[in-house]
Amino acid sequence: MTMAFLDNPLRTGLRMGRTPEPCTMVIFGASGDLTRRKLVPALYNLARERRLPAGFSVVGFARRDWTDESFRELLCEAINTNSRSGPVDPELWASFAQGIYYHWGNFDDADAYRRLVERLAAIDRERGTGGNRVFYLATPPEAYPTIIAQLGTHGLARSSGWTRIIIEKPFGHDLTSAQALNAEVLSVFNEDQVYRIDHYLGKETVQNILIFRFANAIFEPIWHRSHIDHVQITVAETIGVEDRGGYYDTSGALRDMIQNHLMQLLCLVAMEPPSVYDADAVRDEKVKVLRAIRPIALHDTVRGQYGPGSANGRPVRGYREEKGVSPTSQTETYVALKLFIDNWRWAGVPFYLRSGKRLPRRVSEIAIQFKAAPTMIFADTPLNDLEPNVLAMKIQPDEGISLKFSSKVPGQPQIRPVTMDFRYGASFGVTSPEAYERLLLDCMLGDGTLFTRRDEVEASWTLLTPILRAWAEGPPLPFPNYEAGSWGPVEADEFIARDGRSWRRL
Amino acid sequence: MSQTAIDIGAIERELRQMWQEQAIHPNAGGQAVIRALTLNLIARAPDDAWAEQILSVAPGLTAQHPNRTVIVIDRPGTTVEVQAQVQALCTLTNAGRTQVCGEQITISARGTPAGQLAGLVLPLLVPDLPVVLWAPGPQPFAQPLVQRLYRLCDRVIVDSTTFTEPLTELAELATFEQKAKGAPAVSDLGWTRLTPWRELVAQFFDSRTFLPHLHRIDEIVIEYAAGTVVNPVAALLFVGWLASCLKWAPLEEAVGVEGETIRLYLRRPAVGVGPAAIRLVSVEIRPSLSPARAGLASVVLRAIDNQRAEFVVAQTDDAGHARTRATVADTPPIERMVKVDPVTLTDLLSSELRLLSRDRTFAAALNLAGSLARRLTSYHNDPL
Ligand SMILES: NC(=O)c1ccc[n+]([C@@H]2O[C@H](COP(=O)([O-])OP(=O)(O)OC[C@H]3O[C@@H](n4cnc5c(N)ncnc54)[C@H](OP(=O)(O)O)[C@@H]3O)[C@@H](O)[C@H]2O)c1
Repeated sequence: MTMAFLDNPLRTGLRMGRTPEPCTMVIFGASGDLTRRKLVPALYNLARERRLPAGFSVVGFARRDWTDESFRELLCEAINTNSRSGPVDPELWASFAQGIYYHWGNFDDADAYRRLVERLAAIDRERGTGGNRVFYLATPPEAYPTIIAQLGTHGLARSSGWTRIIIEKPFGHDLTSAQALNAEVLSVFNEDQVYRIDHYLGKETVQNILIFRFANAIFEPIWHRSHIDHVQITVAETIGVEDRGGYYDTSGALRDMIQNHLMQLLCLVAMEPPSVYDADAVRDEKVKVLRAIRPIALHDTVRGQYGPGSANGRPVRGYREEKGVSPTSQTETYVALKLFIDNWRWAGVPFYLRSGKRLPRRVSEIAIQFKAAPTMIFADTPLNDLEPNVLAMKIQPDEGISLKFSSKVPGQPQIRPVTMDFRYGASFGVTSPEAYERLLLDCMLGDGTLFTRRDEVEASWTLLTPILRAWAEGPPLPFPNYEAGSWGPVEADEFIARDGRSWRRL
Repeated sequence: MSQTAIDIGAIERELRQMWQEQAIHPNAGGQAVIRALTLNLIARAPDDAWAEQILSVAPGLTAQHPNRTVIVIDRPGTTVEVQAQVQALCTLTNAGRTQVCGEQITISARGTPAGQLAGLVLPLLVPDLPVVLWAPGPQPFAQPLVQRLYRLCDRVIVDSTTFTEPLTELAELATFEQKAKGAPAVSDLGWTRLTPWRELVAQFFDSRTFLPHLHRIDEIVIEYAAGTVVNPVAALLFVGWLASCLKWAPLEEAVGVEGETIRLYLRRPAVGVGPAAIRLVSVEIRPSLSPARAGLASVVLRAIDNQRAEFVVAQTDDAGHARTRATVADTPPIERMVKVDPVTLTDLLSSELRLLSRDRTFAAALNLAGSLARRLTSYHNDPL
């Protein structure tokens, strides 16, 4: 199907990427937060940058009694407040909005799907969308099975063009539920039609991990147990649960962050070079990493929950006082863990992962700590003054790469660590597109590289489900155990200190 | 103060001192200053007006391609005069916390022999970084300084919209590009301006239902904004691009000029079998008085034989948009408005600076446009 692009002779040597074939995107849950904050602004920005074809259409499916007109107005406001490019360009919006429709219905209402079939056919005729469709499930996860089944029943999983489905996170809440959801999806769609979103993969800096590793020949030879002491992956948030308390209390940091985002980062850092850069080759290598991870021991995990404290200098309440959260909640808002990848490259190298809410700074980074110099030949400097080399890949905020190495202080015998900094913002003064822009476009182009495959999701759940079970079965912890605005529970510091290491000060 | 010679060592010292001061006295906001250089840019200004344009472009360029720019204001004159000035160019990054700085050296000369100027420029280049020569204005390859320097450059950037004898110079540019194969690569900002037009036309045919019509185009009409000089180069490059992508060959002698309208014929490969073995594509290029901004005003691709199909991209009355329309047979036309921001000289340059090697698509388009230009110049003596 993607062959059509290769056939367009005018595409050779164009400096901009190809545009998808005209298609219709049906968004389930179109009255929701995600649609308003992320999806529609992303689509609008793609249109603004001429990355969408003429005829591209959107059908918003939700149960409120809205009209095409009122839906368009709402989205226009949503873009005005949420788009990185600022308020809409009125003329462009007028043209783009002509292709936006509202489809009223309940997710379990068969009639709504019958009407949807007709509506899509009409759009194909009027706007030349040729039967190409993307279904986007931007709904509470409980609604996924209903919608998938209804799409199947009404013959919407196949068309005269291509049909794809995008599924939001969370994809299951443990191994069994993820497998069940996979079975439901795959009873209606083929795996190559399914795009499971992990928006972390849409971030340019995350994609750059692979470029950095595999386009620069100097790092790969030392990317190895013989040179690397350990790896730290941190995803720290300053926000609390916002207004998602009810949902979060049934989830927790392990499900919400580690299972998807941190595991993805881990895979990108640890995977072997794929033989080609395509969806299956890349994902095959990622799955190999996940499968090589040794079962994580319970004593290699630390949980935390924030209590009252401060954020950005203002007092904030504790997790148990948040709206929708049980006052005796045992849900973790912080996780630190250690794992080992049992393969030739990584055997014996610990990977420390940590993620939490209400930490002092919003920062995501991967730090590779190299082994220290074996002996100290500079007599005047004590060996323990020498800091090991650290290569840090910062994902947000200040995206970039820094390398710490030792240097002589001018005129003195001391050796001091200095950092060599490379920042994307500094070397390429352009703003990066939002993750959703890249992912929506990739899906429309039929490129699944940055989406999670079935076996990836299941491999990750296989690893984490036993921990969830053990935690649930274990005695309750004395939560809260860290103050909002601190770097997590003391246990996490003690945990890594037992290995003679410490968390990076970020 | 005018001088007849410059001390290179003094310039070097001045540059070094500039960076040392930055390291000792970080600027007021406590911002870190990062010196980042990704290339050497030699910009030759043929006169003061161009010097001003180049100077206005430099800061914006630093943000995207931090570089050492050596601006040479190469004025004619009878007395020899030459002066140099050094400056750091800094821009704040998005995060607003670090400053990225490049360097700018301005050599202001009058009546200075090209050999002397080249001798000044060469030692000022940062080693081991690509060297790009930007030579705006008419007759770039006839300039002695350009002739001296281009061999040492990785890329030469000219601007066909500033040509004063467009057809002749287009032919020369094509000849140069062919000859120069390998080093240096050639860029034309006139071609860069066509990028959105190429994209919009190409996008029609990303659609499987429209793609077949691309191979049966019979007619092309291109209108361009009439300026003070009638300059059909962009339109010819556009035809050259279509023709080279679609394997259309120019038909010998089949060119005509009526007033300011150019007519050309190209031969396209047959679609399917049958009597239509050879098909002609007729091309009409004409200036238009109406468009809101310079460059192309509209492009129409039409298939007439059998099923009618028409694909149109046109500038709108305001400066920021274009309209596209695809009509096939009796189905309702598919129209839309797209945003086409007016491009600045900085955007154009920086897009060319991203390229590392020869732009093959441009080379092929230029080659074809050059041969069309040659035919047109030999066809008539009117000053087109
Ligand atoms: N929001 C984010 O930033 C974000 C980020 C990452 C992932 N996600 C995921 O994306 C999905 C959507 O998130 P969200 O924040 O947009 O949720 P939301 O604001 O609660 O929106 C849910 C949408 O589904 C509709 N809906 C629910 N039940 C329905 C039914 N039976 N029939 C018809 N419509 C129904 C809701 O309609 P009503 O408005 O009428 O209730 C609403 O439009 C979730 O799976 C979430 O985990 C969201």
